[in-house]
Parts: sequence; structure tokens; C-alpha cells
Amino acid sequence: MAVVTGIYLIYLFIPIILLFVGSFGETWTNTLLPTGITDAWYLELWEDGSFRRAFMVSLKVVAATCTFGTLLAVPLAYALYRSASRGVMLAARIVFLLPIAAPPLVLAFGFILIFSTDALPWLGSIWLLIAGHVVLTLPYLLQTLVADMRHLRLEELELAAESLGATFRERFLDVVVPLLRHSLGSGLIMVAALSIGEFQLSNLISGFLYRPYPVVLLQAFYGSTGFACAATVILLGLALLAAAGGALAARSASKYRKNAP
Amino acid sequence: MSLALENVTFTYAGTSAGVFDINLYIDDGELLAVIGSSGSGKTTLLKLIAGFEVARQGRIQLDGEDITRRPVRERQLGVVFQSYALFPHMAAWQNVAYPLKIRSINPSERRRLACEALERVGLKGFEERLPQTLSGGQQQRVALARALVFQPKALLLDEPLSALDAGLRSDMRDEIRRLQREFSIATVHITHDQEEALSMADRVAVMEAGRLVQIATPLELYDRPATRSVANFVGEANLWEGVVVSADSVELPFGRLQTGLHNYANGTRVTVLVRPENIAVGHTAEDANRFTGRIVRDRFLGAVRRYDLAIENSVILGQTGTRGPIDAVSIRPEHVRLLPA
Repeated sequence: MAVVTGIYLIYLFIPIILLFVGSFGETWTNTLLPTGITDAWYLELWEDGSFRRAFMVSLKVVAATCTFGTLLAVPLAYALYRSASRGVMLAARIVFLLPIAAPPLVLAFGFILIFSTDALPWLGSIWLLIAGHVVLTLPYLLQTLVADMRHLRLEELELAAESLGATFRERFLDVVVPLLRHSLGSGLIMVAALSIGEFQLSNLISGFLYRPYPVVLLQAFYGSTGFACAATVILLGLALLAAAGGALAARSASKYRKNAP
Repeated sequence: MSLALENVTFTYAGTSAGVFDINLYIDDGELLAVIGSSGSGKTTLLKLIAGFEVARQGRIQLDGEDITRRPVRERQLGVVFQSYALFPHMAAWQNVAYPLKIRSINPSERRRLACEALERVGLKGFEERLPQTLSGGQQQRVALARALVFQPKALLLDEPLSALDAGLRSDMRDEIRRLQREFSIATVHITHDQEEALSMADRVAVMEAGRLVQIATPLELYDRPATRSVANFVGEANLWEGVVVSADSVELPFGRLQTGLHNYANGTRVTVLVRPENIAVGHTAEDANRFTGRIVRDRFLGAVRRYDLAIENSVILGQTGTRGPIDAVSIRPEHVRLLPA
């Protein structure tokens, strides 16, 4: 078991390590490892306006996706959890399966068809990009939240709050939301990681001004290996940053209610 | 404040399960225990009083006011749930202070009142602890404090001791009773544990298949059960089928039994009840009901011993403190109860 785990970890980390090594290598052509050491690729990346802009676009898209995802997923998950209707449960199951049933590419073609018309000319806007990311990541967040609600036996806690005099709003804000902080945190980490690395949909619907980092990164692979490695290492850092940000956001949101009553 | 249920009927949608024609009155400061086997409708009854379900017929009155259709949060009832339902993200004092927060009591006052309530249930020093760091008994006390802190009009206890171990359960019975008396609050205590009901309640209501079959004081319920099923449910019992043969005797499958005076006509089929502790070991020539047999089952329970004495084609269940051999028993006529067959 330990051997298999070890092999798996090596398989997982070798590309990351090689990317890191490659990003500091001067040249890397037809050799096992690069030759020479340089920080030139990172400097070049820093001076490249398109990468800097893409980096900021990705951060904005992740932040907005997490925010809108939370605002949509918490009440939606709650409604799904409380509903005894078979129809609603079926709808929930379809939503949960959406990422498998409709992959990003399919969704992107749909977006292109709808939002390139004169009536809805939003193709290329950052808001459409955010909307796309929300649609793609929402099922994952919903699944995490609904599973946690079942685990917490929220219904009984709500009945208790209700018997103590709490209104629906008070129950939701004082009991439901704070109790979901852990699942919201882990769900948002997943959302952030998915959003930051999303390429298929972003590549097709993002405009020239709002291209996220993975879309711009593709260009780097047409240039030198060191530059491509450095750009990818930055994406990795960005993914880690987004995940940490998502976790922090959930934690601070829960603190709002933690001191209650 | 009193609580009254008049002809309350409720069935769960799509089923015939529920409660039917319930009439109950719980006086101010009274503790009424509702007992019954699983599925008898006792929890449904609590849900109706709490407002978690709404009665299809009849009405529920709290202190003279009709609350049948009043929303849960407006009923002013303290509810202690079987699982306690403490908010896991709030400290003990925050749990207790929650109903006070809802009632817009200022923060310092609500903290003071919550800490006071915790002190009353013996949890001074545990104010900052999260529920999951407290023992079952301590969680139970927090739940009680939370249910009582806002001075509810009545208290509803849904099998509050079922999750505790035997020793703690006994302590908590006394604690709940003490608090209930201290607050002098009408209380409905749902339980499947007849010993718990008999030891705590002023009166006990027995439910069966959604109906109330008897409401009586614990003593009356034990000594004069209304039906065979109540006698069987409350305590241990010898229950035999018999036929009345005179004003003071019945014919049983294993012989004639002298009884106290009764009102059944000769020839009436009855159920004969004799509690095991009323089976006396040994007999003398003067004893009216004498039986000899052999022990086929013997259970040592510590303070008492329970045995099955086989006599002819029947068995007498007895209970005694005697440890020696038993081959004869007697039953005093005043200990023989006749119930409808």
C-alpha cells in the first residue's frame, strides 16, 4: 500500500517539480534537465502586460464566482434539502449531474449562440465569463452543501430554533448559515480551484480584454520552454492563492455569526 | 398555565397513522407523562402540542387560548428534544441565551440570565463550553435551561432521558422533576419507559394505536389498569383468562381463584391480573388461593428475584426477596384484579 502511494505521489509531483526546475533553467532542449540557472523567465513574465492583465482577470473571476456561487448555492441547497417533492429532488439530481451531462465545451457553444446576438450582445464580457464559471462550479458547491445539511440534521435544529421563537430569517442566519461554514469553506476551495484552472469555456467565450490566465498561458507554450514553465508555475501559485482565499472568505463569513447571540 | 386538548385528531398524509380523539387536561405545575409502545402516537401528540404538526380536528388550548393553528414560534412552549438539538456552533451560554436574543433582550442582560439559568441546572463553570465537549447529562441540562430560560407557558419533553445511561437517567429524573416543580410549569413528558413515567409524573397517560386508553395517577395506573394492554405495558403482570363464577371468585385454567368483591356477573369472561410482587412464597392452610408447582425459570435481579412457577398447564410469575427454594405460593384475594377480557 505504502509503495503504491509512494509511486502515485511521485507521479503526481514530478511534473510540478520539473515545471519549477524548468522555470529557472536557461535552456532546455532534448535533455533530461535544463542547463543553466536564470530568473529571466519570471522577469519577462512580469514585464508582459497581457499576462499581468490575465492574472488580475483570473483573480476577479474567481472572487466573483465564489461570491455569486455562495449567494446562489446556500439558499438553493437549503431549498433542495427542505423540499420533500420528488420533482424538486429530480431537478436537484439533474443539476448535480450537469457538469457530466453538459461539459464546458457544450456550455460554451450554447453561450456563443445565445450571447452573440444583437439582443444579448455580451459575448466577451467579464460578466458572461463569471456567469459561465458560476454555472460550471455551482453543482459541486451544491452537492457539498446538501450533503452537509443532511449530516448536520439541520431540520431538527431549525425546529428547536423555531420553538424558541426564531423567525425563518433568524433561523437561516443564526443556525443554517453558521453551521454550513465548514462545507462552504471546502466547497469554495473546490470552486476556486476549478475556476482558476478552467480553460475550455473561458477560451471560447472570453473577449480579448478579459482573457483569464489559463487562456493566455497557452500562448506561452508557443515560445521558449523556460517561459512556459514559469507561466505555469504562476498558475499553480494562483490556484493555491485562490483556494486559500476561498477558505478565508468562508471563515470570515462564519465569524459574522459566530459571536451570536 | 394549563394545557388542554379537546377531541384532537390528526393523521399523517397518505396513511392511517396518527392520533384520534385525544382529550387531555394538564394543570398548571402538573407533570403528565405520556407512555406507549413505539408507534402508539405519543410523539405525534407532542408534535401537535408544539405546533410541528397541525391537528385536523379538535383544538388545543394553552391557558384558555386556542393555539391549534398558531405558528410554532408564537406558542411560547419550551421543548426539549430527544437528541437535545443544541446548536453545535454556540457555547452553552449562547444556546441558553438564544431565545432571549430572539426576544430582543440586551446582550449583557441575556448573558446574565443565561449564566443564571445554567447555574440553576448545575452547570456553573461550563458556560463557554461547546455542546459537543459536554457529556450527555450536561447537554441535557443545557437543553433544559434553554427551554426554561424564557419562561415558557408549558414544557414539552420528548424522551429526554433515552440517550443517557441508566445511572445518569435516574439522576436526571430527579433533576427534571426538581426544575419542573421549581418553575411550577405544566409539563408533558413523552417516554416509552414506564418506570420513568411512574417515578416522575403526577399523572400518566397511556397511548395505544393513536388513542388514549387511560389517564391516571401512577399508583392508580399500576393498581387499577383499565385494560389488559395497560396492565401488560405498565410493570410486570400475571394476566390470565378467566370466567366469573361468583361474587368473589373466578375460574382459571389451573383452578379457582378467590377475589375481592367485584361487579362482574356470573359467566362473564374476564382478564385476571395479579402483580408478581403480590405472589407470596409458601402458604398456610388459611390461605385462600394456594398453588404448588416447580420453578422453570429463575432470574436474580439483585434486590429481588423473579421466577416462573409452573403449575398444571400454566405459569405464575412471582417476585420475591427470598433466595431459598420455592415450590408453593399463595395469592391474597384483595390482590386479584379483574379486567375486561
